Amino acid sequence: MSLRSDASPAAPAANRRPPKTIERFDVVERAVHWTTAVLMLELLATGAILYIPSIALVVGHRAIVENIHVYSGLGLLVPLLVGVLGPWRERLVRDLRRFDRWSVADWDWFHRKARRSGAPKGKFNGGQKAEAAFVGSGMLVMLATGVLMRFAPVSWINWQQGATLVHDVGFIAIAVGVLGHIYYALNRPEQLRSMITGRISRAWATKNTPAWVEEADEGKP
Amino acid sequence: MSPDDDTKNQPEHTTHVGRRAVLGVATLGAAGIVLGSRVENRLGGALTRISNDLGGLGALVPGADEFRIYTVTGSIPTIAPATYRLRVDGMVEHPLDLSLGDLRAMKRTQLVHYFQCVTGWRVPDVHWGGVRLSEVLAHAGVKPGATALRFFSGDGVYTESLTMSQAQLPDVLVADEMIGDDVTPEHGGPVRLYVAPMYGYKSIKWLDRIQVLNEVIPGFWEDNGYAVNAWIGGNS
Repeated sequence: MSLRSDASPAAPAANRRPPKTIERFDVVERAVHWTTAVLMLELLATGAILYIPSIALVVGHRAIVENIHVYSGLGLLVPLLVGVLGPWRERLVRDLRRFDRWSVADWDWFHRKARRSGAPKGKFNGGQKAEAAFVGSGMLVMLATGVLMRFAPVSWINWQQGATLVHDVGFIAIAVGVLGHIYYALNRPEQLRSMITGRISRAWATKNTPAWVEEADEGKP
Repeated sequence: MSPDDDTKNQPEHTTHVGRRAVLGVATLGAAGIVLGSRVENRLGGALTRISNDLGGLGALVPGADEFRIYTVTGSIPTIAPATYRLRVDGMVEHPLDLSLGDLRAMKRTQLVHYFQCVTGWRVPDVHWGGVRLSEVLAHAGVKPGATALRFFSGDGVYTESLTMSQAQLPDVLVADEMIGDDVTPEHGGPVRLYVAPMYGYKSIKWLDRIQVLNEVIPGFWEDNGYAVNAWIGGNS
């Protein structure tokens, strides 16, 4: 463990104890998360109005709903891009890299307890990484197919029909993915709170994500 | 990044599963865009049966050969067939106020043709019945110099347009029959337009008035960025 001079400058070195909480998500990550979450829920709601006939019939006003859906859809990746491209990107990019890299512990998540290797667990588990890849790639696919549906020239009819089919399937898949994410979050209040306040207790982290506690203590939370 | 870099920076071996998964899903999506129409045209019937079997949830099945009911206002207009009148006016010799009976007394045309929505869904083999638009226009007597038509919907908001030459095509109907029966209120009954060679948004529902003009005035969706000449597949 490397000692950081800026950890708690006021306290004498001998009494230095690790803080009771660790910053799990910085303000940039939380801002990206919640703006994307609001956009995503709005897109699912307007998408449901456009796609499910019984709801479409009750709501009507197709042109207005469609324009809200299309233009907020075009903005779906903006929070993430702003987060990744600005000078504030460090924590966000580090977590995106974590989503990319799968260790033995991540595969463990998909096995029953008896068959797990017991490898030390990092910041995100396999389920979270799978969800991130699933929803993240889903957003790209929905953006591409949505743009084709609305803005492609009329002569691209076959691709438009294909894009519509993919967009319809994607709607169901992402709705399941997002609802699952919300369900898991509501059943894990401490982790949910960390997406609001940014911090999580060291006790929780040591128990559930020991490899990440080491990284955090090395200055890479 | 090579695996060596990984092991250098990570406490244990890791693999780039995340980016591979994203690439995989993106590839699937691209394949769906390119091949989706073929899959749908082949499986549409089966998907429709699945959709029907699921009852209320059936509407969620993608790719089924079913109509989706779109309205641009808050509700479906209810128009009594007994009091329905179709107004034909503008640059015509004899402005008309056609009842359903008047319309049915004209030379009738039947055709079986798909309905293609610009958003990608298609219903194959729909049976349409009614009077050719050209026939209705002949009864009204189009004045020289008239080059375009404007259509008004009974919903009070929706409008559409055609050029005079498009209106003369044999598969453009003032339809009072659809799917082998009277046109239902949600499909635009009692009378709607059916423009077979163009996307569905040209086939205005709850047809209320046909105005003959000397210029094309773009319709409701056309004001929202859709093509005025909405030939299916873009071939004119």
